[in-house]
Amino acid sequence: MYGFEALTFNIHGGYLEAIVRGHRSGLLTAADYNNLCQCETLDDIKMHLSATEYGPYLQNEPSPLHTTTIVEKCTLKLVEDYKHMLCQATEPLATFLEYITYGHMIDNVVLIVTGTLHERDVQELLEKCHPLGMFDSIATLAVAQNMRELYRLVLVDTPLAPYFSECITSEDLDDMNIEIMRNTLYKAYLEDFYKFCQKLGGATAEIMSDLLSFEADRRAVNITINSIGTELTRDDRKKLYSSFGLLYPYGHEELAVCEDIDQVRGVMEKYPPYQSIFAKLSYGESQMLDKAFYEEEVKRLCLAFEQQFHYGVFFAYMRLREQEIRNLMWISECVAQNQKSRVHDSVVFIF
Amino acid sequence: MGEEEEKGSSENGVESKEEEQDEQENNVLRFLDSLDSYLVLMDSLSPTLRQGWMELASARHSMGASRINSALFDLKHHNAATSLEVNHHDDTTMQQTCFTLCKWASPDTQNLCSKEATLEEGELLQRKASSPQIRHRGASRSSEEVQEKRPQPYGPPVTVDDQVQKERSKSLSVFGALVSPKLRGAQLSFETALETLVEIANIRSTILCARDQVQEEMKTTM
Repeated sequence: MYGFEALTFNIHGGYLEAIVRGHRSGLLTAADYNNLCQCETLDDIKMHLSATEYGPYLQNEPSPLHTTTIVEKCTLKLVEDYKHMLCQATEPLATFLEYITYGHMIDNVVLIVTGTLHERDVQELLEKCHPLGMFDSIATLAVAQNMRELYRLVLVDTPLAPYFSECITSEDLDDMNIEIMRNTLYKAYLEDFYKFCQKLGGATAEIMSDLLSFEADRRAVNITINSIGTELTRDDRKKLYSSFGLLYPYGHEELAVCEDIDQVRGVMEKYPPYQSIFAKLSYGESQMLDKAFYEEEVKRLCLAFEQQFHYGVFFAYMRLREQEIRNLMWISECVAQNQKSRVHDSVVFIF
Repeated sequence: MGEEEEKGSSENGVESKEEEQDEQENNVLRFLDSLDSYLVLMDSLSPTLRQGWMELASARHSMGASRINSALFDLKHHNAATSLEVNHHDDTTMQQTCFTLCKWASPDTQNLCSKEATLEEGELLQRKASSPQIRHRGASRSSEEVQEKRPQPYGPPVTVDDQVQKERSKSLSVFGALVSPKLRGAQLSFETALETLVEIANIRSTILCARDQVQEEMKTTM
């Protein structure tokens, strides 16, 4: 027990905590995944999913199915659950739930801006946006020529406005600037979310700080690996790392100068929680790193449900659903490409 | 004297017949070797493409569907990163089409164009004798580098030209400046598949040419 949450939490949060725990029990089990992994066609997958909570979302889809259709329809289930919880939530839970979607909002902004830079149709881009990250003026992003205009015309009235203070320049938007903008925004968002959870205090602060620190550390590793061999300088790379997490600040200093995956491994193995992750990889290999990180994340998210009277369960549920949708996407791709032997390369069991 | 002349001319006749037979056998050998190389390449193409598609799905799984999708393809006018030249060689005995792949050869980097040599008989035999792995063609590579395996994106240092690497990164930049190593792996797989396709086209041209020669010889001997 961290405080006196047991006395007062259920007044405003009890109903929704019960709802989210009910949703958690609807997540796919290992038996479900075993059945799905043995499917021969996407229609078989649809048939197996008809017996799960995704059934109503897929039942009216005509054959032949596509993998993107399965992902879109399963995402609708996540969106519906989220909107139900949001409309029932009071403060500060409502703000907490909104924070969960800001990552998707950032991805949507970058998608629209990048697509516009490539002279794509705005309608086409809007169809590809994540539904959890939509906001009213998102289509207006297409008229901005630089970040200053992006902020002034559109983002000033959105929840992302405070995160733009480090991004505002008059430089034209190009691929590298957009990438830096994406990562700078996400860094600011994570730090802001972290501070918000710390302000909430109690079990929420304790559990969310662990989950967000892991997220920040994983992002630091991914930024490092993805920027190896690119034009991103060491200083710019370091600026994209968050100002919290287990790796902050000494791990970040070392990661900023890494030039290959083995050097990254050397840095990460100094931190006991990440030793087990990198122990699963052979030297020079990074293919299974994503799966190793996802497995660790799922373990921590499931542990969040072991305690009551905190908001971490809502964050954990959303992330577990997203992981489940990623699993379904991977299984569908393996079935569609007739490469079922690779299906266990990226599926992460939740239960 | 007359007998000696007759003997000389008959010896010449025998020799020319033997030369003709050797020529015919060489043509048949060339045809069969080309066919064998063609089948080897066709067998290797499918796994390379499958690997590329799998790596692309893996990159999509890693980076997210919003970062890797067709809505991000660049519709602005830009030069092709790779082009294919088709040349027709005509000589007295045969007409052969030759395909040359120019990779990463935008107008700014014309010197990087990698030339596909016309496949000659010796090269075909050498290819058959060696392992059936695909030759990797790239700009300014030495003969040892041609035999290198597909490089690991972040393994030991690879001797790839910096400019080629920049062009590769530029073509991937539609998905963002910082992309997953899996996407780079997919790019290399599809690049290898494209090289294989050009090799297949060249070998097919050689097969057709050799077949025409064999048929021509069969007609003249009948």
